Parts: sequence; C-alpha cells; structure tokens
Amino acid sequence: MTKQTQKRKPGKSGLIMLAVVGVLYVVTFVFSPETGKNALAASGAIIKMIAPILLVVFFLMALLNTSIDAKYIARHLGKESGLRGWLIALGGGILSHGPAYVWYPMLSEMRKQGARDGLIVAFFYTRSIKLPWLPLMVSYFGLLFTVLLTFFVIFGAWVQGLIVDRLSRVGRRTKETIDF
Amino acid sequence: MEEGQEKVCYYVFRNVRKGIKKMIDRVKQRSGDALKHALKSLWMIMPMLLAVIGLIGLFETVITPEMLKSLFNGSTLREIIVGILSGGVSVGQPFLSYAIGGELLHDGVSLYAVTAFILSFVTLGIVQLPLEWTLFGTRFTVLRNLLSLLFAFLISVATVFVMEIFL
Repeated sequence: MTKQTQKRKPGKSGLIMLAVVGVLYVVTFVFSPETGKNALAASGAIIKMIAPILLVVFFLMALLNTSIDAKYIARHLGKESGLRGWLIALGGGILSHGPAYVWYPMLSEMRKQGARDGLIVAFFYTRSIKLPWLPLMVSYFGLLFTVLLTFFVIFGAWVQGLIVDRLSRVGRRTKETIDF
Repeated sequence: MEEGQEKVCYYVFRNVRKGIKKMIDRVKQRSGDALKHALKSLWMIMPMLLAVIGLIGLFETVITPEMLKSLFNGSTLREIIVGILSGGVSVGQPFLSYAIGGELLHDGVSLYAVTAFILSFVTLGIVQLPLEWTLFGTRFTVLRNLLSLLFAFLISVATVFVMEIFL
C-alpha cells in the first residue's frame, strides 16, 4: 500500500481530475447557465469556508515535520501506542473541525511517519460527531437519540479501527510469506 | 574576581552562547525545511482539492433536498439502503443533514433510514474519493468506505433499536 502511494503522483492525477471537473462545469454552463453560476458560487463559498482551516492544517503539518519526528508518531499512534493512541484518534476526530478532505494531507503525512491505519480510520469515523451541531441534533431528534448515536459512533469507530488493524496485520503477514 | 575564575566564566559563557546559537540555527533550518515541505505537500494536492471543491459545488446545486425526499418510499430495509446511498452522494454542512433528516422524519420516513442518512452524509463522500485515493491508496480507501457503509447500517439499526427499548 505504501509503495502504491509513493508511486502515484498526486499532482498529475489532480490535474486530470481538475480538467474533468472543468469540462463538467463547461457542459453545465452550456445547458443551464443558472445552475453553472450557482455551482460556481457554492464552490467559492466552500473555498472561503475552508481557507482558515487549511491554514491551520498547513501549520500543523509544518509543526509535525519540525518538532514531531517519526519515532514520536510511532510511539503515540503506531503499533505500540495502545490506549493512548485510541484516545488521541477518537478525541482528535471529535474535536477536529471542517470537512474531512481538509485533514487528508496531514493524516497522510502522519501515516507515512508510522501512524496506524486503524487509528486513522477511527479518526475519520468520529468526525461524524460534530460538537457545535449537537444542540441542533437534540432539537430535531431528542436527547436520547443524540446520546445513543454519539455512543454508537465512538464504539463503531473503535471497532472499525480494530478491523482495519487486524486486516493490515494479515495483509503484511501474507506479503512476508509470499516474499519469503 | 580572580583571573582563573574569569577565564572559566568566559569559557562557560562562550560555550553557552555557541550552544544557543547552534540550537537557534538548527530550529531555523528545521522550521524552514518543514514549512517548505508542508507547502510542497499542499501544493501537490491543490489541483485535486480544487477539483473536489468544484464537484461539491456542482453536487450541492444539482442534488436538492426535494430530490432526496422523493427517493424514500418502501420497506424499512430499502429506506435504510436509500438513506445510506443518498447520504453518500449528498454534500454540505452537517446541519443540513439534520434539517433534511428532520423533514424526512416529518414526512413519515422511518428513523432507521434518517439515522443512516445522517451518518453516511458525514462519513461517506463520493466526491472526496479521488483525493482520498490519491493520498491513501486504493486498499485503504476501499476498506474505509466499505466499513463506513456497513457501519452506517449497523449503527442506525442499533441506535433506533436501543432507543425503542428506552421509550
């Protein structure tokens, strides 16, 4: 998996994807200029919304590279991280702000430095708990529903992390056997 | 102060100053390198990030709440599946999923389906897949999204089932 990630060039595939989206916009503008304009405005609003979060992620990435080395990541989020690793991943997911894709670069960086896949999956899943929006959820669906859903999301994130870790171990062992 | 003591003080001071200077230089170099590295990483993913944002803008405009509502009709199981799939293709702020979910519930859609919709709205994202695939690889992306699909189903059933016991 790591080899695959290293070989792939994000810039190149990104440019192709950007070109495809550009063509989609041109087609939308040709058939329905109003929809095209609204879509463009919506995208602009998203950029405005994520810009500050992206800035925070940028500085966190820089901090990660300056003061936190691979050994530190491996100790806190790697194979031997134990309960601390789970608490960091689950708590970090709940507290992280903004859309998931903004966090992708930082998490991929941490993964390269030795963070476990299971913890990254758990982080992603607990991101579905949005602390600032919980009061709104309570007003729509009630307190009991909100408490139960939050509990099951945390529990589900942990179980998913365990499954991914287990599968990663099996995958590694199989690869080692084939190499041998 | 005697001459010997003065010499010792001078050497200590000189070495401490040297040490501090060395440390500052190292921090400067490391932070400069780190900033460059972070900037390069973000620059590399920028086209994909912009593409994903463009897609989200399109999806937000084309897929309306009314369109989503029209999909929910049938058995509970079918509604849960529709909830998961429609949540996966929908994009926007999380509060939108609560608002749409609230309206769906009001229109008679089961709480199982609404819960599945709310969950997959945040945990799944078809438009984010290309970026996730680029940065994390095929195996990770497929596994994470399949698990999210499965757990949207399991958690929605578990939440409403336990809730019914309490009520």
